[in-house]
Amino acid sequence: MSLTGFVRFLRQSLQRLESDFIQAVGLDRSLGPALAVNGPSLLPQPNNSSEPSFLDSIFWMAVPKKRRTIEVNRCRRRNPNKMIKVKTNIEPCVQCGNLKLKHTLCGFCYEKIQKETSLIRRQIQNMEGRPLNTPAVETVVLYENETPGEADQGKRIVERSRKRPSWFNL
Amino acid sequence: MRLTLRALISHGRVARRMGLGPESRINMLRNILTGLVRHERIETTRVRADEVQFYAEKLIDYAKKGDTNEKSMKMADFWLTEKDLIPKLFKVLAPRFENQPSGYTRMARLPNRENLDRAAMAVIEYKGNPFPPLFPVKQDNELNLVNQLLKGYREEQAQLNHSGHKLVFWITRM
Repeated sequence: MSLTGFVRFLRQSLQRLESDFIQAVGLDRSLGPALAVNGPSLLPQPNNSSEPSFLDSIFWMAVPKKRRTIEVNRCRRRNPNKMIKVKTNIEPCVQCGNLKLKHTLCGFCYEKIQKETSLIRRQIQNMEGRPLNTPAVETVVLYENETPGEADQGKRIVERSRKRPSWFNL
Repeated sequence: MRLTLRALISHGRVARRMGLGPESRINMLRNILTGLVRHERIETTRVRADEVQFYAEKLIDYAKKGDTNEKSMKMADFWLTEKDLIPKLFKVLAPRFENQPSGYTRMARLPNRENLDRAAMAVIEYKGNPFPPLFPVKQDNELNLVNQLLKGYREEQAQLNHSGHKLVFWITRM
């Protein structure tokens, strides 16, 4: 990989710089008189290290220096931006008394309405017979013992066989 | 000179992205709108209900122009995938809202869906539908103690006023 090659190049250049510097200053003891030869090793060779070991390639990784104490941990874990926010928009429903959010319908009351709506829709489905059979007239829902009024003339009447619920007054 | 990264920051953008792209968004809204016209009350996610509200009201505006209008019929044909709703739109919904200039739909928020996704739900309906009302009309019960006391108080005041007027009338007569 280029990283190991880069590391090797840097180390070699550093060593070269170091040896040049030492020669320039004159602290190098290895060179004797100019014509003296020192045996088989003629010139100082940069020591070609073997393959850079594994530990050299992780030379510059980020790592925690110290253990985070429990006090510091507590400060981080318990500061307000990590705690769950308290909701102040909860209020009781006027009709049933269950809790609801201010800008939302009450779940209990809506459940009642939804059940009744689905029963009305089932009745409509039975009346229509097959799918895609909507008539082009208005619909009105009548409960037990109710007769269509003058406003209900010309409308499709859906009959529900129960007493009219108290919350369904139009 | 443009100083911000247009793609990453969306401050002030009002157009919503839904589905797989603009065409997918229109198809999704078309399905929801067809369901709304058929059932007159629909329960969906809040964002979809908000988007559909605009299209539902525009559809009614087109339907009000009349059956014979070319553009209206094309719009109805495009937006309603179930073709038995086109007569319903022109003969039921348009006359229902004849006298209203706008505001044919009502949207109310619901508690989050019970699934794992806890989606924010809303119910959207055409006004004047035959179903039970979402916002029940407040009915004061006359048999409450407080209401009975208030009734008695009102009656007493009425008596006093009545007798007081009689007195004033008598004095002036005198």
